[in-house]
Amino acid sequence: MTPAAATPSSPAVSIEALRKDYGAIRALGGATLTVRKGEVFGLVGPNGAGKTTLIKAICGILKPTAGRVTVLGFDAGRDRYRLRRRLGYMPQAPALYEDLSPYENLTFFGKGYRTEDLRGRIRLVLGFVELWDRRDDPLHTFSGGMRQRVSLACALLRDPELLILDEPTAGVDPALKQTFWRHFQELKQRGRTIFLSTNMMEEAMRCDRVAVIRAGRILITEAPEAIRSRGRTEITLELAGGGRRVEEAAAYAEELPRLLSGYGLSSEVRRIRIRRPDLEEVILSMIGQKEAGAGKVKTHTGDDPPAGGTAPSATPEDHT
Amino acid sequence: MIASVKAIAVRINRQFLRDRRFLGLSLMVPLLIMLLIKYVLDSLPGLERLGVHVSDYAMFFAAYLVHFLAYVLSTIVLVGDRTTGTLARMFVYGYRRREIVFGYVGGYSTIAAGQTAFILVLTKYLFDINLLPDIVPVALTMFSLAVVSVDLGVFISNFARNEGQVIPFIPLVILPTALLSGIAIPIGDLPTVLQWCSYVIPLRYAVEVLNAVLVNHQPFRDNLAPFLILVGIGAGLLATASFTLKERE
Repeated sequence: MTPAAATPSSPAVSIEALRKDYGAIRALGGATLTVRKGEVFGLVGPNGAGKTTLIKAICGILKPTAGRVTVLGFDAGRDRYRLRRRLGYMPQAPALYEDLSPYENLTFFGKGYRTEDLRGRIRLVLGFVELWDRRDDPLHTFSGGMRQRVSLACALLRDPELLILDEPTAGVDPALKQTFWRHFQELKQRGRTIFLSTNMMEEAMRCDRVAVIRAGRILITEAPEAIRSRGRTEITLELAGGGRRVEEAAAYAEELPRLLSGYGLSSEVRRIRIRRPDLEEVILSMIGQKEAGAGKVKTHTGDDPPAGGTAPSATPEDHT
Repeated sequence: MIASVKAIAVRINRQFLRDRRFLGLSLMVPLLIMLLIKYVLDSLPGLERLGVHVSDYAMFFAAYLVHFLAYVLSTIVLVGDRTTGTLARMFVYGYRRREIVFGYVGGYSTIAAGQTAFILVLTKYLFDINLLPDIVPVALTMFSLAVVSVDLGVFISNFARNEGQVIPFIPLVILPTALLSGIAIPIGDLPTVLQWCSYVIPLRYAVEVLNAVLVNHQPFRDNLAPFLILVGIGAGLLATASFTLKERE
């Protein structure tokens, strides 16, 4: 009998009070989260927060110290063999054989579960990552980004119900990052669920929901915009005569009229400047690392622009 | 299961065939070591006067070399699979513990068999040993030893998280083997406690067979016991490794 996997309304991933200790080190300290079927779910946190450990638990390659992990209705420990048939997993490191070609790597990993029409699937996924022409070249001749592409192709090989991606775009060039995300959206439209870890804010903004993890605990799980709106907006009123008044508002849309009414909308106010914090700032304030700077969450830089035109901006927003 | 075991063994062999440096070294290293052994044994004064024939010992050293190379190679490469994440990926992509262990043993045993054949030929010509009458039992014993060494490597690799942790396990197996297998000191001359310890040394049984067949010219069928113990140790290690290979952290 298939467990709760048959229930369409059941979550894709359900993690309850998951704890993992490596000797005296606590990697996960009671993490709890739910991933809905068909969503793109992001796990955001600094290095060492427990992202990879959590992903391993979902794939059934981690023995939890305590807690429960249910994936597609299967217990990730007890039913791991049945569960893994439905998973696509892309680890953080490419985890491929350097002496072999992409075609040989995919053939080898595809044989684990006897993928149907393996040759056709390999052609399809290598075509998607634009490496079909390099299918017979040994992997050690590939760049880091190209290896990531082969690794993603490997994860897509069996057209999985749930795609688990551990920092999938690390080391991938911006154009290809955009292609990756286009494909993630295509998969979502086909009802697939995507669970990815990232420390890139523009990627977090593209997810339907995001969980922020720190020191093995989930701090919050919400839509990225909802998380962002938790930050305190800075409202600066520049007054006639060079004076200025700075206010902080939790919900600036509500606070602004009150603030302005205090001035009676007088000509004294020359300029109003509203600065909403970006997702990174909000998350950093949540994980309390802004000052320390350690394990800083990455944001995109000028030479690494956010992919896709429709994605919400992750940069600070200024209204004047 | 057979298809998965075959897929792993084929993958391993394909990798090694691509690695020209490895191929070159796996022939050069035995050649250099056997040359060194010959040079050292030939230069020892009065060995022949004591009734010791260098050629009697050559095959023991060859067996030791087979054991050492196969054990170290399989230990390091499987631990490498763990550190690079390919082992975890294999699990997630449907390979089971038993399939992985059997696949690795299959793959490395093919490599070890090739290397063993080369060492046998090398020893025959370097030390002018007439192997032909005993080629079947000698080759069978050497090949079984190579497979047992691979089994041992796969088993030991369970206890190392990275390649660095493999290093202490190399002398832990190789030095007691050199001292307690009978290649350097006759087992009967060892203290009783060490004689007991020698029962767990796989090379001891290979040396017993080689000694009986090559030195004492006894028929192989009269010396099946040590050969079967050797095979039994291999089967035991294989079964243990299938259960101890860590699937979940």
